[in-house]
Amino acid sequence: MQIATYAWLIALIPLMGAILLGLLGKKVNGKSAAAIGSASVLASFVLALLIFFSINSSTQKSFDIHLFNWIHSGSLSVPFNFLLDPLSSIMLLVITGVGFLIHVYSYGYMKDDEGIQRFFAYLNLFIFFMLLLVLGDNYAVMFTGWEGVGLCSYLLIGFWFKNTNYNNAAKKAFIMNRIGDLGFILGVFLIYNTFGSISYDKVFAAAAGFSSGSSIMVAITLLLFVGAMGKSAQIPLYTWLPDAMAGPTPVSALIHAATMVTAGVYMIARSNVLYVLAPFTLSVITLIGVCTALFAATIALTQNDIKKVLAYSTVSQLGFMFAALGAGAFASGVFHLVTHAFFKALLFLAAGSVIHAMSGEQDIRRMGGLRKLLPITYPVFLIGTIAISGIPPFAGFFSKDEILAHVYACSPILYVLLMVASVLTSFYMFRLLFLTFFGNYRGTKEHMHHMHESPSVMTIPLMVLALLSVLGGFIGLPEAWGANHWLNGFLAPVFEQSSGRVNALELSHTTELTLMAFALAGAFIGLAIAYSKYIAKNQVPAEDNNQPEGLYQLSYNKYYVDELYDKVIVKPLHKISESAIAFLEKNVISRSVDSFGRITLNGSRLSRNLQTGYIGFYIFFMVMAILLILLFNRI
Amino acid sequence: MNALLILSALGIFALLTDILGLKKILFPASIVALIGAMVASGLEWGHHTSYFNGMMCTDNTAILYTELLLFAGLMWFLICGSSIREHQTEHYAILSFALAGAVVMVTFSNLVMLFLGIEILSISMYIMAGSQKDKYSSNEAALKYFLMGSFSTGFLLFGIALIYGCTGSFFTSGIAAAIQQPMTLPHGMLLAGVLLILTSLVFKIAGFPFHFWAPDVYQGAPDTITAFMASVVKIAATAAFFRLFSMAFGSMVQEWSFTLCLIAIGSMMIGNMGAVLQDNLKRMLAFSSVAHAGYMLIAIITLNKFSEAALLFYITAYTLATLASFAIIIRVGQENGNGDVSSLAGLGKRNPLAAATMTIAMLSLAGIPPLSGFFAKYFLFNAALQENYTWLVLAAVAGTLISVYYYFRVIHSMLILKGSEEKISNSPIQIIVMLVLSALLILLGIMPDLLLSRIGS
Amino acid sequence: MSAIQVVPISYYVWLSAILFSIGVMGVLFRRNVIIVFMCIELMLNAVNLLMVAFSSMLNDAAGQIFVFFIMAVAAAEVAVGLAILVMIFRNTKSVDIDFLNKLKR
Repeated sequence: MQIATYAWLIALIPLMGAILLGLLGKKVNGKSAAAIGSASVLASFVLALLIFFSINSSTQKSFDIHLFNWIHSGSLSVPFNFLLDPLSSIMLLVITGVGFLIHVYSYGYMKDDEGIQRFFAYLNLFIFFMLLLVLGDNYAVMFTGWEGVGLCSYLLIGFWFKNTNYNNAAKKAFIMNRIGDLGFILGVFLIYNTFGSISYDKVFAAAAGFSSGSSIMVAITLLLFVGAMGKSAQIPLYTWLPDAMAGPTPVSALIHAATMVTAGVYMIARSNVLYVLAPFTLSVITLIGVCTALFAATIALTQNDIKKVLAYSTVSQLGFMFAALGAGAFASGVFHLVTHAFFKALLFLAAGSVIHAMSGEQDIRRMGGLRKLLPITYPVFLIGTIAISGIPPFAGFFSKDEILAHVYACSPILYVLLMVASVLTSFYMFRLLFLTFFGNYRGTKEHMHHMHESPSVMTIPLMVLALLSVLGGFIGLPEAWGANHWLNGFLAPVFEQSSGRVNALELSHTTELTLMAFALAGAFIGLAIAYSKYIAKNQVPAEDNNQPEGLYQLSYNKYYVDELYDKVIVKPLHKISESAIAFLEKNVISRSVDSFGRITLNGSRLSRNLQTGYIGFYIFFMVMAILLILLFNRI
Repeated sequence: MNALLILSALGIFALLTDILGLKKILFPASIVALIGAMVASGLEWGHHTSYFNGMMCTDNTAILYTELLLFAGLMWFLICGSSIREHQTEHYAILSFALAGAVVMVTFSNLVMLFLGIEILSISMYIMAGSQKDKYSSNEAALKYFLMGSFSTGFLLFGIALIYGCTGSFFTSGIAAAIQQPMTLPHGMLLAGVLLILTSLVFKIAGFPFHFWAPDVYQGAPDTITAFMASVVKIAATAAFFRLFSMAFGSMVQEWSFTLCLIAIGSMMIGNMGAVLQDNLKRMLAFSSVAHAGYMLIAIITLNKFSEAALLFYITAYTLATLASFAIIIRVGQENGNGDVSSLAGLGKRNPLAAATMTIAMLSLAGIPPLSGFFAKYFLFNAALQENYTWLVLAAVAGTLISVYYYFRVIHSMLILKGSEEKISNSPIQIIVMLVLSALLILLGIMPDLLLSRIGS
Repeated sequence: MSAIQVVPISYYVWLSAILFSIGVMGVLFRRNVIIVFMCIELMLNAVNLLMVAFSSMLNDAAGQIFVFFIMAVAAAEVAVGLAILVMIFRNTKSVDIDFLNKLKR
């Protein structure tokens, strides 16, 4: 495959873009910066397309491209290799494709920001690391990308660094991710310790020799999953993601919805061979996925910040993906990842367009009736809402339905819970839609005065994403319809080794069709409730100081999880560190450091005083030393 | 061998330029000659040829060290070439010959060649140390260096004579073979010979307790010559040390390793501690070079399959950082010349590129990842741990901790202390040198395999 | 057996060791740079004697060749050394090894 030789360019071009933008700084105006940033991602996208088509048409499905030897120490040898296969090529398309659209959109959104050059440099750097993450053929390269995207996420959440709250949000994201990363790196160490290598092909080949359910496999997979929990915001490490909305909206769309947060899903799908050997881990993943999906959905019900609703919705949808992975339906997880990237990026960007039109207002209680005022944003937001709610033939329906079917085959109880989450999804999304675009305008006159539809540089990406949200589901038409599930077939080589070990979906077509009907009914139930509440009765959520009692308040305050973490973890840690300062610092550390310093200082004086400057003394010392050496060796 | 011919030719050419009136082209000619020598030397890669009846052997290790020496020489000419105004031709000639001597030191396979290489290099350096004839400090440095250097040469020769008597050969291979056989002369004589050679080589690399010349000479000699000593002389002496002790005396490693351990620990402690209280930059770097000699001795002590590559990597990292720091010291010295750490104050504002290069060099010397200095220490310690020298590594780590203090003091002075606001400009050559050196320091840290894969496999 | 080989080798070793030590002592205890140079020469000549003796004992010419190299190098070394000394004497009017003592601590 000719094109594989150029694969390194895919990652290199955005890096070059980032370096160029970083070096040029304010020497280029915002327009050129946006052009450089977008062009580099577009170039990568074109390459990704070429690679995708050649993999699709080629009989060989996996290409390992050696770039250079990275680390070579003892028995550890880490080559810097890229792996091109169906899974990575799909990820490449999503990252560069959606990434490019968001780059273009960002120019419109960030046009008047003085840090726009910095913004595009960070974005390009993010794309580079994300590509590294999915392209690497071993866990070390993946980890490099994994940490790199974490860094860029931190930088971009705190992009407006003059605001302390935003900085705190950035720090929170960073620290929460550290916890996960620790698990991930421990998992990688354990992999190296067990298999003697960290390259995918060697590890997966060696894994064949392990029996299913062996404790080492469970340990490895659980540790890797801890990494996924952090990066992909699963219970209990999800609280950073809603706070991450402090970043500019395009960042929320790119990093905290479409790409980075799905890294955990990619990682588990990539490691499917290991995971199928650990059924226990798989059930843990399903459980956590379902719980996260439901839990986050209940929080999203009552939020009034347009981005917060979408953030919790992202957490919930990620839960769906993990539920699929846990059920052994890796392809379905990836399928939902792709469709979710389309419609969630769309929703975020559309929300950004709303915020832009409202001069920065994010509270849906101050919106309403924007339908006529934003003639392009409204329909695309509607499409996104329909897609995420799971109404056919839009993208979300197919992928979500697949997940529900797989979970049903796994455990009917979890299916019911996930179904509830799905109904709630439909409800809160339509609630968001109705409160924003229907009813009467509730904002200030001032905002009304500035109201305008976004420029075409923002609306065109929206329209493209809307198109993708409509059509994206057709890459995986259900077999129950007698259609050909293209994505399953395309990804099959990646999951070949593990396919024998998980139960294939053994539902009859009738059952599947029944489940579909349930899903559809669920979506409409959610829609109907939202309609009756917010259109028919024209309700508006109460102000902050006048919240209804009970469950509503619990949900509105996000179950007080942040406060709980604060009480249970942060405060005690502060206490411990305070007493540690009082005792350890003063008595142990200071003293030992001081004495180390004193010894050094005395040694320094000695060394200095030996340097008398007299040649005679030097030669005398040398002769004494030689005599001592000779005597010491008994000559 | 090619390198040796080109360097000698360059030296003779430099002497003739005065007569021929070609002084203008001397600088470019030297640069071209050095680059040519690097290429010509690279052509010998893999051939493993012997010269002078087997008294020199260009094996791959020798070629790598030759390349490193030539690179250091090239960088040295680029850094200092333009600042040498007086006696330009003599400077160029003597330093070309010194480089030739250094090349002999890393290529020898016979003790005669080792002796000649050491002397060619040393005598050149005695002259250069005193090249500022009317300055007391330069005079004093030359006298100290010369007296102690020729004194230690006496011990080297006595050692060689004893070895010759016991083994009947000057060839490293012949000595190694004879050591395995029973001998007519007492074994103590052989060991005494080895230890005497050891002490004089420790003197050359400036290890404790034979390091006394280093701080005084580094401080007193002209900046440019100190740069040469800290890079070229250090490389050649360390490489020769390793070459001799691995090729000739490897089989009796148990008998001399403990002595060398004590010397290594002493060097690391005295060097690192000595640097702490120094204000003069060159003197501080001299003590730091004593400490680095201690680290490099670890490779000679361990002598296993990792140590050769580890030592090469360490010397490379050390040389790059040293050259980078001297490039800045020389540049700043031209502006305001007391040579103290405080003279760097405010460099971050005055010349950001120089400050950045110096920062990278200091961080690398201190062994901060991901710079090459970190991996240099890592590979060295790894080699030592394979042979269970845990306490040696612990001492080295303790020394490294101390070293952080004085390296960071330089960075602190450059970036935080306020100094003169006057800008310092860079010539294009200086910019290239700084960029190349800092790029290499970073590159070798990220991809150490670039160098390591050349050796051992 | 030539005359040089009649004397046992250990005699030569001891003799040159003693000569070498005398040289070392001289370097240690004399302060006049010229005398110190001479003492270093004495050390080198002790080595030369030892080399020649070993060469004869081993019936190997290499040792004697080495002696030529030592002589040549010693000559060069002394030339440089005297040049340094002249330079210092011009500046300080002194040939005491410890007279110049600015570089220290």
